[in-house]
Amino acid sequence: MEQPGYTKLQPNLDTIFAALADPTRRAILSRLVEGQASVNEIAAPFKMSQPAVSRHLKVLERAGLIERDVDEQRRPARLKAEQMAAAVDWLNDFKAFWGASFDQLDSVLFNMKRAKGKEADNE
Amino acid sequence: MSEIPEYRLERIFNAPRDMVWRAWTDPELLHRWYGPGVETIIHKFDLRPGGAWLNEMKWGDNADFSKMVFQEVTQPEKLVWHHSSTDADWNITANARMPDWPRVLLTTVTFEDMGDKTNVLLTQIPMDATDAEIACFAEMMAGMDQGWGSGYAIMDELFVELQVEGGHDE
Repeated sequence: MEQPGYTKLQPNLDTIFAALADPTRRAILSRLVEGQASVNEIAAPFKMSQPAVSRHLKVLERAGLIERDVDEQRRPARLKAEQMAAAVDWLNDFKAFWGASFDQLDSVLFNMKRAKGKEADNE
Repeated sequence: MSEIPEYRLERIFNAPRDMVWRAWTDPELLHRWYGPGVETIIHKFDLRPGGAWLNEMKWGDNADFSKMVFQEVTQPEKLVWHHSSTDADWNITANARMPDWPRVLLTTVTFEDMGDKTNVLLTQIPMDATDAEIACFAEMMAGMDQGWGSGYAIMDELFVELQVEGGHDE
């Protein structure tokens, strides 16, 4: 049964975070936020050869973080934000779950204590 | 894989142990705090070894179902349950958003009496997990402790920029 609200994307955390673990690849992603870019354009600010940049792009592409045009000669790369968003949402959900629940438990306990205090006053 | 990764969360609550125990084991109280910022509906809460807690969380048009089967209930010290994602009919399923997430997490909560305070320690470890599940869980735990901080930071940054660019209106 398909549950509501679930995305069909199945991001692989391992691949995504391995891709993000590298500062150059993070810089490439930052660059792509400004818009799509060719290998040449991406390589320009880095002291790096085009093949090296291409290798980084491959890692990002495999992780589903970017996509590249197959039709055009220059094969510009662009961000695929949905994939990232799905993975990050999920990680954040888990990270937040118990912590935020414990925060709420704090206030439930506070109210329980206050209610108990009132009872004691009425006795 | 030999080492089973573990999730740990420990917090001292400013309430006596009996009260904290009640907040965890009375569904009327439990549904008020379990699940962050969601509507929590407890469909069944059978507090005894082998008994089930059937939980639904709702937010917007979304719903999330989970089933907890109690293994140990030692009032007021300890609760142990098997924690699983389910479909709407309470059948255990793989996590739709994270297929390699462990199907069953052995969850242990201990309540330590500190007079007018209570120290609560919650741990979760994968149960009867495949290598892929253990790896996925380990990855998450590593990400929570350290290492992926920069990954989160860059993503947060990217999302902010993307949202600005996309010009989403509230």
